[in-house]
Amino acid sequence: MTVEVSSLKELVEQASGDDRSPDTQEYFVNMGPQHPSTHGVLRLVLKLDGERVLRCIPVLGYIHRSIEKISEHMNYMNCVHLTDRMDYLSSIMNNWAVSKAVEEAAGIEVNSRIQYIRTIFAELERIQSHQLWWGVLGMDLGAFTPFLYGIRDREVLNDVMEETVGARLTMNYVLPGGLMADIHPNFVHRVKEFIKYFRPKLDEYDDLLTNNVIIQERLRNVGILSPQTAVQYGATGPVLRGSGVAFDLRKDHPYGVYDQADFEVPVGTIGDSWDRYWVRVEEMRQSLNIVEQLLDNIPPGDFLVKKLNSKIKIPEGRYYSQLETARGVLGVFIASDKKDEPYRLHYRSPNFNNLWCLEPMIKGDYIASLIGAMSSLDLVIPDIDR
Amino acid sequence: MATTTPVPTETECPPIDFGELKSNCVAPRPSIMGQKRGLRSILWLSFKGIVRGLLTTLSYFRRPSTVVTQQYPENRDTLEMFERYRGRLSLIHNEEGEHGCTACQICERLCPNASIIITKDKKNEATGKPALDQFIWRQDTCTFCNICVLVCPFDTLEMTGDFESSVFDRRLLVFNLNEYAGPTAGQLDKLEDDELAKAQMKPMNKYQGPVPMCGGEMDGIPKLDVEKPTDA
Ligand code: SF4
Ligand code: SF4
Repeated sequence: MTVEVSSLKELVEQASGDDRSPDTQEYFVNMGPQHPSTHGVLRLVLKLDGERVLRCIPVLGYIHRSIEKISEHMNYMNCVHLTDRMDYLSSIMNNWAVSKAVEEAAGIEVNSRIQYIRTIFAELERIQSHQLWWGVLGMDLGAFTPFLYGIRDREVLNDVMEETVGARLTMNYVLPGGLMADIHPNFVHRVKEFIKYFRPKLDEYDDLLTNNVIIQERLRNVGILSPQTAVQYGATGPVLRGSGVAFDLRKDHPYGVYDQADFEVPVGTIGDSWDRYWVRVEEMRQSLNIVEQLLDNIPPGDFLVKKLNSKIKIPEGRYYSQLETARGVLGVFIASDKKDEPYRLHYRSPNFNNLWCLEPMIKGDYIASLIGAMSSLDLVIPDIDR
Repeated sequence: MATTTPVPTETECPPIDFGELKSNCVAPRPSIMGQKRGLRSILWLSFKGIVRGLLTTLSYFRRPSTVVTQQYPENRDTLEMFERYRGRLSLIHNEEGEHGCTACQICERLCPNASIIITKDKKNEATGKPALDQFIWRQDTCTFCNICVLVCPFDTLEMTGDFESSVFDRRLLVFNLNEYAGPTAGQLDKLEDDELAKAQMKPMNKYQGPVPMCGGEMDGIPKLDVEKPTDA
């Protein structure tokens, strides 16, 4: 396999070379960094032939905040709160990923109450992330109404989580060695209410978008990602599962208390945007099932097993740990030199790998399809740059 | 240059053995045009799909109160935040206006982005112990991570539900949290002499003392009159 490396400048110069033929010319267009449908500051350099996309080159770095570098000067408790700002729609799962890595490396055992609460919160967070994605997908395809409905239901869920956590987006709830606070006395009751509220709303989602022939045709057979390509590019999460590869860390390497819940992993068939749509909608249903099963069995116990301002020191070495966020596998790599700060902290973020699937997906298709395909990838740009 | 229509091709690579991954369910994939259907059935299903979507919105149009989540500026007086909500940081003062901060600086050390600056009087003349001089909080850099509240050994900090903190000048976002400079409530109680205790509590204004950036002059920006804070 050969890897071709060429700079953006070379590519542009190649295309705009001496071309006097009367035929149409290929040209480059910037999409973003301020384009509303790129969901953030993502810049795509598109090589177009008329309306067809010949190449699509993502350009990154517009929202780089050097989270990894800053973490090198922070103790492990403080590292956690920066992960809120990576993939802000799965902040609790990001917190958990770091905490899990630190706990495994430092040999901290957390009790099962903590694991239960973490799992429940991760699933709630997955639902609210997919709710927002569902609304935004509609908006990207030109239907504004679903966005309002997605946000409406997300608001209800956000309130439930806010009561316990105290924040709505940058949660910073999971700490190495436990949780920031115990669940609120109302929590179990309110989650049950939410499940009762949200089940019928999923059918409403079907009425609004899923059964709409226009949406179906904008997604079906658009942005086909073969399982081989998906694996080659390192795609994970619903993007990989949409292509028919049944890989979900929650099933394959269970962490938390996922092994005690009975749930199914939705998998797509041919890997087009329509499959990815279904996988996510189905995941919302499965997450509701998981939460429902775990909710009544939260065992008693402490919510923090380690004193907060005690220094966590990790023995010298390299450690890797991963879990499944709403967008795929988030890996945390820690290189430690026995101090209470990491020598190097690296995140393998799911969106980074998912983003590069855009080009093989969309090559030769129209710009309008690019929007739908990108929306079905559910990218969060701050997670790509970090 | 001839315009060719590139067909999406699969990258050539040998089939990958994905191992024993457990797939439990295949997501349903029904779509109207995806299945073999007659024109009539396609038209009917498309019509039905669109009309049902419209009926959904129409039903909410008739009872808008079910979809309204918050009427924010209107419900400002009745709005109650959750008790754990992380808004403005505050130093708890009891009914006598005494705080409990011993100026131990643990919160300052553990704040991830140096949003807390504590200056202290090394030895208070009455109690003989260090006393808090200024508790400066930089709201502009604070990430509301709640760590300072959790690590304070004397539980003197709390996050309040106050979230309306917009100001017209960012220099106003750096201020003192303590209402007086002096010893903690506990230390003051130990002093027998009430007069002496009162004398230790030197009033501290929100923008008093050498608060960094506090309304000070900057390049091309005039000094700010912080005696009358504009956040009222
Ligand atoms: S607020 Fe608490 S932690 Fe911070 S200096 Fe005062 S007593 Fe110490
Ligand atoms: S909430 Fe976090 S960032 Fe803000 S002052 Fe406290 S420790 Fe610092």
